[in-house]
Amino acid sequence: MKKLILRKLIVDERNELFDAQGMRCAEFPSDFARIREFTAQVLADCPRAFREGNLLEQQLSEIVKNGIKHGNRNDPSKRLRVWYDLRKRARFIVEDEGEGFTELEKWNEFFAKRQTALFNEDFDAFLDLASYRGPRSDENDGGNSLIAALEYWNGGMIFNGARNKIGVVRWFSGGSACLD
Amino acid sequence: MRRAIPQYRPMEWTVSEADEKGFENVVVKGDCDLYSGPAFARELLVRIAEGTRRLRIDFTGVDYLDSTGVGGIIRLLQEARKRGCELRFRGIAGSPRRVLRMSNILSLMKEEAGQ
Repeated sequence: MKKLILRKLIVDERNELFDAQGMRCAEFPSDFARIREFTAQVLADCPRAFREGNLLEQQLSEIVKNGIKHGNRNDPSKRLRVWYDLRKRARFIVEDEGEGFTELEKWNEFFAKRQTALFNEDFDAFLDLASYRGPRSDENDGGNSLIAALEYWNGGMIFNGARNKIGVVRWFSGGSACLD
Repeated sequence: MRRAIPQYRPMEWTVSEADEKGFENVVVKGDCDLYSGPAFARELLVRIAEGTRRLRIDFTGVDYLDSTGVGGIIRLLQEARKRGCELRFRGIAGSPRRVLRMSNILSLMKEEAGQ
């Protein structure tokens, strides 16, 4: 029998994913045009097996984009800090200087409705709910980066209390993906 | 920090006249990302709104797809449903396929074998 499993975004200030001890750190300006360049810099020494083609780059790029665009709102005076550790697994902490993800609970409600529609095979309702649209979403926002992220970051994805910092980790099995 | 040279390829696409089955064919190459994805979606949304009723998109040349690109595909699916446009996809592989599956969108896309 099928069972609906609903994941959600979690806030936990004291989570161990925010322990940056031993991690390397990089700091970037809020320059939207350079998001993929910043991501490539962080991953310059990343083991090939962790990259899974360009999947790791794509997923990290989403977090960098969210911090620069939605967190810092492309304000050039605000910085983005990325802590990273690519030993044994891919682990990152990304902090922006914005007001935090204030729509987190609303996003969780949206995601529950979306996944329920999918579970019930109500594809018309699901298609209507496929992308999250918040009060500040623009036409270029995909509205789905956190959905894939919940699946991809298989060791956890946690927001801090201020919701302007996210900790994520992806584990690999024998250098290959746990996914698929 | 070592300066990395990004390996990304700007997205390009061509749209051909309708074939014998009435499908306009779109062949896409490069990275469907936050920089190129919006213009791509906008052009195809206009085509659907202006009357295209059969559209086939070939993603064989795309090996990078991010959430902006996925969002564009979602908007195309929504517009196609609204306007009664038949939308088909080809050549979705590698990490773009995995991103679409993780986003739960792949199952909504009608796929067909290449060439």
